[in-house]
Amino acid sequence: MEKGRKHWAFQPVKVSSPPKVSDDSWPRTEVDYFTLARMDKAGVVPVNDADRRTLIRRASFDLIGLPPTPDEVEAFVNDSAPKAFERVVDRLLASPQYGERWGRHWLDVVRYADTCGNASDYPVPQAYKYRNYVIKAFNADLPFDQFIREQIAGDLLPATSDQERFDHTVATGYLAISRRFGGGKGPVNLTIDDAIDNMGRSFLGMSVGCARCHDHKFDPVPQADYYALYGIFCSTTFPHPGGEGLNRPADLVPIVAKAEVEAATKPWSEQIAALAAEVKQFEATKAELAKEPDSPENKDSVAQATKNIAKAKATLKQVTDTVPYELAYAVADAKGANTRLQVRGDPERLGEEVPRGFLQILGGQKLPKDTAGSGRLELANWIADSGNPLTARVMVNRLWQHHFGRGLVSTPNDFGTRGQVPTHPELLDYLTQRFIQSGWLIKTMHRLMLLSHTWQLSSLAPDASAKDPNNTLWWRAERRRLDAESIRDALLFVSGDLDSTPGSAHPFPPVHTWGFTQHNQFFALYDNHQRSVYQMQQRLRKHPFLALFDGADTNSSTATREPSTTPLQSLFMMNDKFAHEEAAKFTTRLTAMTNDDAQRVDRAFLMLYARPPQPEEVRMSTDYLAQIRSQLAVKKLPTDQAWPSLVRALLSANEFLYLD
Amino acid sequence: MHRRTAIRSLAGSSLLLPGIVSELLAADAKRDVANDDPLAPKPPHFPAKAKRVIFLHMSGGVSHVDSFDYKPRLITDHGQPYEVPKKMLEAFALSNRSAVKFFKKPDWEFKQRVQSGLWISELFPKTAARADDLCLIRSMYNDHADHAQATLGIHTGSVSFTRPSMGSWVSYGLGTLNANLPSFMVIAPALPYAGGQLWSADFLPGCHQGTRVVPGPEPVPDIQPLVKDAQLQEMELGLGAAFNRRHLLAHGSDPQLAARIKSFETAYGMQAAAPEAFDVSKETDDTHKLYGLPRGSTKGFAWQCLIARRLAERGVRFIELIDTGASDNWDAHGDMATHGPLAKNVDQPIAALLIDLEQRGMLKDTLVVWATEFGRTPFNTSKDSKGREHHAQAFTCWMAGGGVKGGYSYGESDDHGNAVAADGVHVHDFHATMLHLLGIDHTRLTFRHSGRDYRLTDVHGNVVKDILA
Repeated sequence: MEKGRKHWAFQPVKVSSPPKVSDDSWPRTEVDYFTLARMDKAGVVPVNDADRRTLIRRASFDLIGLPPTPDEVEAFVNDSAPKAFERVVDRLLASPQYGERWGRHWLDVVRYADTCGNASDYPVPQAYKYRNYVIKAFNADLPFDQFIREQIAGDLLPATSDQERFDHTVATGYLAISRRFGGGKGPVNLTIDDAIDNMGRSFLGMSVGCARCHDHKFDPVPQADYYALYGIFCSTTFPHPGGEGLNRPADLVPIVAKAEVEAATKPWSEQIAALAAEVKQFEATKAELAKEPDSPENKDSVAQATKNIAKAKATLKQVTDTVPYELAYAVADAKGANTRLQVRGDPERLGEEVPRGFLQILGGQKLPKDTAGSGRLELANWIADSGNPLTARVMVNRLWQHHFGRGLVSTPNDFGTRGQVPTHPELLDYLTQRFIQSGWLIKTMHRLMLLSHTWQLSSLAPDASAKDPNNTLWWRAERRRLDAESIRDALLFVSGDLDSTPGSAHPFPPVHTWGFTQHNQFFALYDNHQRSVYQMQQRLRKHPFLALFDGADTNSSTATREPSTTPLQSLFMMNDKFAHEEAAKFTTRLTAMTNDDAQRVDRAFLMLYARPPQPEEVRMSTDYLAQIRSQLAVKKLPTDQAWPSLVRALLSANEFLYLD
Repeated sequence: MHRRTAIRSLAGSSLLLPGIVSELLAADAKRDVANDDPLAPKPPHFPAKAKRVIFLHMSGGVSHVDSFDYKPRLITDHGQPYEVPKKMLEAFALSNRSAVKFFKKPDWEFKQRVQSGLWISELFPKTAARADDLCLIRSMYNDHADHAQATLGIHTGSVSFTRPSMGSWVSYGLGTLNANLPSFMVIAPALPYAGGQLWSADFLPGCHQGTRVVPGPEPVPDIQPLVKDAQLQEMELGLGAAFNRRHLLAHGSDPQLAARIKSFETAYGMQAAAPEAFDVSKETDDTHKLYGLPRGSTKGFAWQCLIARRLAERGVRFIELIDTGASDNWDAHGDMATHGPLAKNVDQPIAALLIDLEQRGMLKDTLVVWATEFGRTPFNTSKDSKGREHHAQAFTCWMAGGGVKGGYSYGESDDHGNAVAADGVHVHDFHATMLHLLGIDHTRLTFRHSGRDYRLTDVHGNVVKDILA
C-alpha cells in the first residue's frame, strides 16, 4: 500500500503556475505555456495555425458532431473581430447538438445499451431516459461532481421538487444498466461485479474489478477493498429487466408522485379483478355447457365459450403487464448490510465480513456502523470529493482526449501502474485544479482547451519532426477519422435528411408479448433518420452500422475508439442502399440550388469540405460529368445518373471522412 | 486535352488505383508495416503444419455417449439408479432436480471403425468411415452448463465476460493470405447462443472481427454493386481515387489515408472475389454428389462445408461453420431421436469435406475442428426419459488434418461417460493446442488492453502434446 501510494496518480494534485516560455506572444490560454515549454525543452517548434476553414470544421465536428454549414463557414472566414473564434465555440457549446455529441462520449464510458445483455438480451424500454438525462446534463453544463452524485445516488439526494427527485432517480440508470447474465434473474454477483468494474474505470480510471478474486496484482487494491464496495451494491436493489423463465420486468422505480401511483393503481387492480372474474365466468359457462347433451348447437356454444375464455385471458394478460404509471430503470436502496469476502471470487466460498467503505488508497473511509441504507450516497461523495486525486484528473483527461485525439494519459480508463504516465503531468494537474475551481464545469474546460493556440494548430507537418514523430508534445494537431456516429450524422445532415428531433422511447414490443429465451433472443433494428446517439443499441448483437465503423462496445467500458479501415466499410460506401439514398438526396439539394455544373461543384465542396474547390478540382469534376454522361448515353442509361455518381465519389472521399 | 487524357487514364477500364499508394505504404519504412496493414500475413512463432482452421460448431450440445464416446457399462447399467452430486443438479431444470437419476443407454449402436478401430456410433456413419483422420478428445470439459455461457467459453475462453473470439485471435496472430476476403469468416444460418459475441473482435482491432455470412443469395453484405455497369463503377471509383490521391499528396502522405485508398481497392476486388468464392456452380457433379448438395441449393450443412473448402482454398485464415443456431438444434432434452436428422444434416458433408481436402492435398495444412459447447448427461430423471440434459463436465470434440494424429483417441471419461477419468482437456487446453498447431505459442499471443496483456487462454491452458502428429 505504501509503495502503491507513491504512484503519480494517487498523489495529491500539485498546484503549479504556467511555466516560462521562449515566446510570450505564442500562448493564448494557460494550456499553451505548458505545451510550449515542453516543446522549447525538446527543441521542437510548433507548426503554423490551421486555416479558418479547417478550424471551423474541426470545431464543429468536435463539439456537435456535425459539419458546419457553408453560411457558418463564410461568416467565420469573414469575421475579422478578435473574438471571432470564441464566438464560434460559444455558439456550438450553446447548441442542443452539443449534448448529443458529448453525452455520447460519456455513454461510451458507461457502456450504455438499450438491452440488458443477459442470455436472451431482454429489451429495457426505459433505458433511453438515462441516455436522455446524460445528454441533458451535458447541455445544461451540470457540474461534474453533481453528475457523479446523481448517477450513483440520485435517489438518495435531497430534492426541491418531485420532478427533481424523479430526474435524480432516472440518473441512477447508470447503475441499473449494469450487465445482466444468464437466464432468470441471473447471477447477481456478476452484475454487481460489472457495476463495480465500470464505476472504477469510469470515475476513477482504476481497474477495481481485478480485485474480485485476489488482491490487485499491480495496483494497491486489496481484495477486501473490493468487498467493501460490494457490500454497498449488495444493499442496493437492481431492477430486473426480464430474463428467460422470469420474463416480466420487476423492481423498476415509479417516477410519478405517490398519490398518482395510488390513483392509477386502484382502477388498474379493479380492472384486473374484473377481467379475472370475466375469465372465471366464461369458464363456468363452458363447464355448464359441457354438461348438456351433445348437439350441433351445443358444440357451437362450447366453441364460442372457448374463444371467449381465450380472448378474456389475453386481455387480462395485456392489462396486467401494462403498468399504468411511468417507470424508470433505476436502482433503490435495500436494507444496508456488509458482505463477506468471496474466496477467489466464488460466491459460495465466503471469508471474513468486510465493513462497507471506500478504497484504502483513496482514503479508506468507512460507513458508520449503524448505517441503515446502502451507503451509495457516501460512496458518491467519496468519489466526487475534490480531494480525491483521481476523479477530476480522469475526467479532465477525457476532455483533452476528445479534443486532441489522445489523452495526456493515453490510457484514459487506467491511471494505475499498468497504465501510461501522463505526457504533461503539470498540465494535467493545472487543468484538474482549474476544473475543480470552476465548480467542475465542463464547458469552462472546453473553452480553455479550444481557445488555446495548441488546439488551433494545423495538422499539416511540413517535415515530420524527427524529434517527436508521435506528436507527444502536441506541436501539431492530430488528423482523425470521423467516428461512426459522425459519419452517419454528417451523411444525413448534408443530404438534408437528418431528423433533428431528440430521440425518445424505442418501439419495443409491449411487455405482455415478451417471452424471449436464449434460444429465441430479442433482436430488432429500428430504422429512423434521427441522430446516431438515439439509435437502439443492443448488447448481444451490435448495431450493424455502428459496428462497421468501430462504434462503442455496449458490453464494457470503451475508453477510446480504435478506428479500423476495412474493405467492408468501403463496400458500404460503394454499395449500400443508405449511402446511395443519401447521395441521391444530396444531389437533389444541389440541383435545387443551381443548374450550373461548376456552381454545383462549388456548393458541394463547401457543404462537404468547408472549402471551395480548386480550379483543378472543378475541372476534374466537370470533365468527369461530361465523360460519364457520354458513357451513360452510349449505354442508353439516364444521364441524370451522372451527378449522383460524382456525389458518391465526393462523399466517399477521405477529405469528408477525416478531420484535419 | 492533356488533362482529359490523364483523367481518362485514371477513370479508365481497369481500376486505376495508383501504384503510388502501394509505394507509399511500402516506403514508409519508419513505421511498423504490421501496424499499417494489420491483416498482412505474419510468420508464426514456430514452424507449423496447419495454416488455416475450419471450425465446425454443433450448436446445442451433442451427446458424447451417443456418438464418439463408447461406454459399454452405460448399456449394461441402463436403468440403474445413480445419485447425482448436488453441485451437478444445477444443470437441471428446477422441476427436474431429484438427486437420484437413472443411467440411460445410447440410442445408436457403436462399432469399431476402419484401420484404427475407433469406436464410433451409427449416428455419424459417414464421418465414422473417416475415423483414420480423426483425433477424438474424449475428456473435454467446459466451465458452464448453460448454452450461452458454454458457447461463449468454447469461442472466447470466457464463459461470462466478453472477450475476442478465437478466430479473431488467429487473424490477429497470423494475418490473412487473401486481401480480397476477410480473414475470419463465419457461416451461420441462424443466430447462435450469445449472438454476435461469438465472432466479435472485442478489444482486438476491428479488422479481425469475423464476417458472418448467412447462406443465401447475398452472403457478404453490400457485395453486389449498386452501380450495375462495371465500367461506370470503375470510372466512379477512379474519380474517387483521383480526389483521394490529390488529398493524400497535400496531406503529407499520411499512411492512414493511404490505407483507406487501399481498402477501396480491396473492396473492389472483393466484389469479384467474394461472389466467385460463394459461387459453387462450377463445382463438378461429382463434388456436389460427394457433399450431398443438390445443384443450385444453398441450404444445409453441405453448402456450408463446400463453401468452407472454397474459402480455405482462397486463403481465408479461420472459417467457422455453425450448423444450426439457438433453436432447433442438438439440445435434446425431450428426445434423443432429434439427434437423428441433425446428424444427417452434417454427417455426409463433414466426411466429404475431409475427403475433398485430402484429395486436394489440403488436409495436411488445414486443421478441421469439430466442437460442441457441452455433451449430454449419461442419465436422466426417470428410467424411461427419452432425452438428456446439459453435461459440461465430460464430453467429446475432435480434430483432424493439419498436424494432429489421425485415428487417435485422447483422454478418457469414466465408465459411464459421466466425468473425466484421465487426461482432462479444458477449453483453455483445447485453444492452446489449436494455436500450437498453427505455430502460435498461446502464452505469447497477447494484446494489451485496459492495462494488462490479455490472451485467448487467460492465464491457463496447456498444449495437449500427445495428439500432435
